[in-house]
Amino acid sequence: MPANTGYTQSQKLMTFVLSMSLYGLATLISELIPSVQVGIVEFSVEFFLFIPLTLAMLFDPLSAALGAATGELVFSEIMLGQFGGIGELEKFLTVTIALYIAGTLVRDPRNMRTVAIVSLGCTALQLAMSAGVDICKVVFAVEEFEAVPGLPESVFFTEGFALANDLLFSGILFCMLPTMFLVPRLYGKIEPLLGMKPRTPQNAPEAPSAKLVIAAIACFVIAAAVACFAEAGFTLFEWEAEWAESESAVFAGIAVAAVVAIVAAFWARRNAQLKAA
Amino acid sequence: MIEKLSESVMDKVSIDFLRDQVLKNAYGNDDTPIAALDPRVLLLWYLFFGIVPWFLNDVVVLLGFFVLTVVTTRVARVAPLVLFVFAIGVLSQTGYTFVVSLFFEGNLDTLASLLVLTLKVATCSLASITVFSGLDPDRLSNGLLWFGVPERLSFSIAFAYRILPILMEELQNILLSYRLRGRAPAHDTLMGKIRWLIYQVKVVMMSFYPLMLNTAKRSRTTVEALELKGYRYASTNTKVLKIKLSSLRAGRREAIFVAASVAWVALCFVVSRIVGL
Repeated sequence: MPANTGYTQSQKLMTFVLSMSLYGLATLISELIPSVQVGIVEFSVEFFLFIPLTLAMLFDPLSAALGAATGELVFSEIMLGQFGGIGELEKFLTVTIALYIAGTLVRDPRNMRTVAIVSLGCTALQLAMSAGVDICKVVFAVEEFEAVPGLPESVFFTEGFALANDLLFSGILFCMLPTMFLVPRLYGKIEPLLGMKPRTPQNAPEAPSAKLVIAAIACFVIAAAVACFAEAGFTLFEWEAEWAESESAVFAGIAVAAVVAIVAAFWARRNAQLKAA
Repeated sequence: MIEKLSESVMDKVSIDFLRDQVLKNAYGNDDTPIAALDPRVLLLWYLFFGIVPWFLNDVVVLLGFFVLTVVTTRVARVAPLVLFVFAIGVLSQTGYTFVVSLFFEGNLDTLASLLVLTLKVATCSLASITVFSGLDPDRLSNGLLWFGVPERLSFSIAFAYRILPILMEELQNILLSYRLRGRAPAHDTLMGKIRWLIYQVKVVMMSFYPLMLNTAKRSRTTVEALELKGYRYASTNTKVLKIKLSSLRAGRREAIFVAASVAWVALCFVVSRIVGL
């Protein structure tokens, strides 16, 4: 096994479990603690991103990133019943991409300057991606977005403001400083607990290749497009007044029948598959 | 007065309370009609109510869907805390955007289009609360597994509910020991209050250091125990899946549930046609 891919499958699973449970706990708590609002400036302890960020810098970045995204999904969305369906895909991907990139950029966790810059950059990347998707969503969700007075400006304003606020407040206070506190203290102590060697420039994971970055960006764009489409409710199903006679009713009927048929076929196939095993 | 109020809120939002609520939500309502249903049917039901509202702009139909999900949430006897978090989330989002849009010459039209959006969001969230909070986590993860969702996700759900109480207790113990050893700054003056807040945040951040080390040990034990049982091979083996999923049964009760939902949806469309909105 080459030196630079020195993580075994079970070590990856350990990193996944560790990152999932810690970040899940943190997001669950932050979901439940009401945020303090002073005027329109929101002081929330929303950002526990420093936990998976630290783990991504010390362990296998991909497992830590996937674990954190899964943890957030399971603990704070599914456990609290806040699961938003397709919309969660976008959050999942932004968190994973940002953490993974941050984790691979740190070649030596003892270099504090890189740790500081990367942790702030990771927050900025994640916030910018999700703010962009949010704006797109509202633009598509509300019909005649431009026609509704005051809506475009207010959405851009709230999103932009939230972005700046989160970056300055959460990014520095809750992300950069704790990461700088934790990484040097955990370095060399936490790795042996999982049976691994501390990361050094020699055994650091490969920086993401261009192919991987392109694939990640493509994934994200597709997810964003799906999220927007879902909220746009593209005019395939227009329930206008004359729907009973019109063609759209026929199309809707065909669509419903197709969906039912697909579900039934999948059900039967899966049953047969399990029976055959 | 305000001090009393904040004190009573702080009493209620102790970590013990959170833990009890989450556990009650997970395991406390096994005997409801919703929990007795087949998880696969419920997941399909959720897919319908999580996706279809986004494609509709008919207020009557959306209201009908909303009423149905309210009823199912009531039947599932979801923990009050979950509903509280849901209400805060939905109301604050809409209210905040509306208030800001007032500054940009928004009016009642803005509110109306925001209300449609809120109705969609609320319906989807309530459907997810019904399914994901109403179901026992083990049944939920079995249902997901049947649909071929990656084993890691269904494992995460089942694992999360078991690890969460332990992690919360541990976090609380660490926080208490910090409180025993340290001395919180006096908080009578404004400066003191700010200093107190900073102190509290710092304690929470620092407690994650021991928590991370402890969780690392625990996740290693977990993964080693899983490996002993052949977890990674079992998760891809259809024979194991067959044994694991043999408890899932869809019968008459599920048929009644689906028929009732379909009838209600059809009724919504008929009513909207008659009202002619």
